[in-house]
Amino acid sequence: MPQLTCVDPNEQAINVAFEPGETILQATHRAGVDGILAECGGGCSCATCHVILTSDWEGTLDAPSLQEADMLSFAVDSTPQSRLACQVQLNGQHDGLTLAVAKRQY
Amino acid sequence: MNIGIVGAGQAACTLIAELVRGQFSGKILVFNGESYRPYQRPPLSKTWLHNPTDSELIRLLPEPIETHASLEWIQDHVVSIEPDQGVIAGKHGRRTVDHIVLATGTRAKTLAIDGLPADKVHVIRTLSDTIHLHEALDAAYNIVIIGAGFLAFELASSLEHPERTIRVLAKGIRALPKISVKAADRLLEETPASVRVGVTIERYDQDSTSLITNHGPVPADLVIVAIGAEPNTELAIACGLGTSEGIPTDPLMQTTHPRVSAIGEVSLHTQPHLNKVMRIESISEANDSASTLAKRLLGAPEPFKATPWFWSDQGKLKLQIAGLAARNDEETCLIDTQTERVVIRHNGDHVTAIEAANAAKEFMAARRLFEQGSISHKALLQAGSVFSLLQSSRS
Ligand code: FES
Repeated sequence: MPQLTCVDPNEQAINVAFEPGETILQATHRAGVDGILAECGGGCSCATCHVILTSDWEGTLDAPSLQEADMLSFAVDSTPQSRLACQVQLNGQHDGLTLAVAKRQY
Repeated sequence: MNIGIVGAGQAACTLIAELVRGQFSGKILVFNGESYRPYQRPPLSKTWLHNPTDSELIRLLPEPIETHASLEWIQDHVVSIEPDQGVIAGKHGRRTVDHIVLATGTRAKTLAIDGLPADKVHVIRTLSDTIHLHEALDAAYNIVIIGAGFLAFELASSLEHPERTIRVLAKGIRALPKISVKAADRLLEETPASVRVGVTIERYDQDSTSLITNHGPVPADLVIVAIGAEPNTELAIACGLGTSEGIPTDPLMQTTHPRVSAIGEVSLHTQPHLNKVMRIESISEANDSASTLAKRLLGAPEPFKATPWFWSDQGKLKLQIAGLAARNDEETCLIDTQTERVVIRHNGDHVTAIEAANAAKEFMAARRLFEQGSISHKALLQAGSVFSLLQSSRS
């Protein structure tokens, strides 16, 4: 199974295995990564699944939808690499990439 | 201290996750009356209804938490509790704990319709409800949804199919009575269902497979009743801790008995945002009340202070609501463009809710503003958008 490395808010790096087609939220949730609240359960309605893509994800993803971008503009310490974990679908190209959970979700 | 949680829904699971992550020192017994591991409810009427095969997708707790050593999962129906002794009695056995948490949630209200066979009536509340509905869909071309709330319309849009006719029948004078007329209109533009209001159902006619109503017969191969939910308070009522309205708690989620707390949709407590004692059915209520209790059990109590929020997806339309309005609160349209619509609900100058259709920024700004305190209707109109009011309040 392909995998990501996810750094949680306590600076712990966790290996997150994923099935192509699932979202970052589904994969990190299964792995039990700390700090992603995901209050709306993946509905793109709460912005508490804020993650930051830390390695080079360039060219592997579509830009965020308007809804996601609007929600992200309210995430705490949002960066140009910020995404909502529930909105990013993973594929084989993402094997080996890294991301970090935002330190604070609100 | 050992605790026993009755229920395994959203509130129970948020409590469990926060206790495990907070390294709660005692044992946590969880009584799950359903035969599935804890799952998320919102997708049942939304995306998941299209293909309810993989319950892993809507699993509520991550594996490392669900299997944590401090937890003991007990699959049993709790039949009574004895607060003084800390006893939780299930069908299959009794357990004793130091503290009991009632997280029993709500159940779908049902409706008795004369002549309607049981296999044609559905409700959507649990995972097995969704699975049953999905199985029945193949033979259903005329679907009737009874109800006028978000659930009715979410189901209508999830069930949309070229071979199906979907009708929503509502008893009241308008659909979506809990939100403003202007927000409701926006949502009604999107619905694939034909909607009829002011409908009384007399009976079901088997020969014509139709519901007989005051508006004439309505073809119905399948009927979904989505007329709201009622709290599961029987356990609390039996020991004097609640009524059919809910289980009263203080701002730390403590009931009138020191050994019993109640969280989630059953708990009846002061909503600081409205300064009113009420029961709220929403994910935010489940999460916030559970967090409040978790903090207390972990030794750092902080009273409940959250502002409720809601969301609903109707095809391409996303409606997000911050706050909670009373039915007769006034409404003023703040923003109305081709895509976005934002409606202010207010009681005089006091804003009670912001209803945002396809306007996520306005919704998020409203949540932030409510967290800071109350919002003035006049100031909001002057600012022109919730976002600008938030920015001016920050500078
Ligand atoms: S889980 Fe709520 S926005 Fe991603």
